Amino acid sequence: MKLPRFAKDAGRRQSAALAAVVLVQAVAALFFMGDAAADIDLDGLGPESAVEALVSLALVLGIVTSGWQLRRTLETVQSQAQALEVARGALAEVIEAQFTRWALTPAERDVALFALKGLDVAEIATLRGAATGTVRAQMTRVYAKAGVSGRAQFAALFVEDLLG
Amino acid sequence: MGRAPSLKTDPAGGVKPPVWDPLVRLSHWLVALAVLVNGLIDKPGAALHVGLGWAVLAIVLVRLGWGFVGPATARFASFPPAPFKALSHLGGLARRQRPREYPSHNPAGAMMVYTLWALLLTVTLTGLVMTGGRSPMTIAADQAAVNSGDWSALVKQAPAEDDEGDSDGGKIVGAIHETAANLLLILAALHVGGVVVESRALGRNLVRPMLGRGKA
Repeated sequence: MKLPRFAKDAGRRQSAALAAVVLVQAVAALFFMGDAAADIDLDGLGPESAVEALVSLALVLGIVTSGWQLRRTLETVQSQAQALEVARGALAEVIEAQFTRWALTPAERDVALFALKGLDVAEIATLRGAATGTVRAQMTRVYAKAGVSGRAQFAALFVEDLLG
Repeated sequence: MGRAPSLKTDPAGGVKPPVWDPLVRLSHWLVALAVLVNGLIDKPGAALHVGLGWAVLAIVLVRLGWGFVGPATARFASFPPAPFKALSHLGGLARRQRPREYPSHNPAGAMMVYTLWALLLTVTLTGLVMTGGRSPMTIAADQAAVNSGDWSALVKQAPAEDDEGDSDGGKIVGAIHETAANLLLILAALHVGGVVVESRALGRNLVRPMLGRGKA
């Protein structure tokens, strides 16, 4: 599952950058406002104070906006992770239900699932501790029960479900 | 640690251990660094010391705001102060019981973090009073002036100190600043010890989530 992981990394990088911006802005705002307060203390209110007040307001608004953005990004990352989990669970259920409808034997279910995950006959045989001939025969029976001619068509049955 | 293996198979009672968000992580490490530098390394009253104090104040204020609007793990509502629960948590650790997982800080950790925040605010605000609210930039400029032989900067400082009233008041503020700072360092060490103990008891490294990494 490469795509979702990329998306998650991007979300993580974005939220880390936003957090850094929020903190830098907060430190900068406090320093600026402290300096402005000192100016007012020294020279009284003047035209400069108005500009300093405006900049202070902008800095505070920036902090609030970045904070809000950070929260949104974190929520998005989390909801994407949840959606992916739900999708995985749902797909597993669809596959299980379809296998039951085709009346696959436990051994055939295993082989069919490995085949869906993209393993070849030799790999499945090694995993199941069976001969490649046995696995090939089981896969042929699975394709017959599913009414498809081969692996590509078999996998396409489920992809079609996903795409809707 | 003589843990029964059967306990280890218990999958945390369905509670997902917290993954700290980047703002919590970054503010944690920045404050830790600033506390170490200001408590152990730099010169009290110097521009760097005051500047770090200001930065810590800003960071803590952001973190406290984040406690109201941040994600669930960062929110105060997820770790309300509960002294008795904290004591029973510590009692369980002393009896070598495997602690349960909490969605955010455990009750003892929550008490620690509230205490640390209170101390950070105490130290930074008393520091502000001690410097008469002078910004680190002003302090650096004054120091530069004094260094170049212009002692008038020292005269300018004097009224600022008078503003706080009698020198007894100033001394009390200074004493609070120093006591709170020392307490902060001691509690920080205790906090690290608590992380080690809890990590062992839970069987997972609690530093990893603070570095932004998932399960070991």
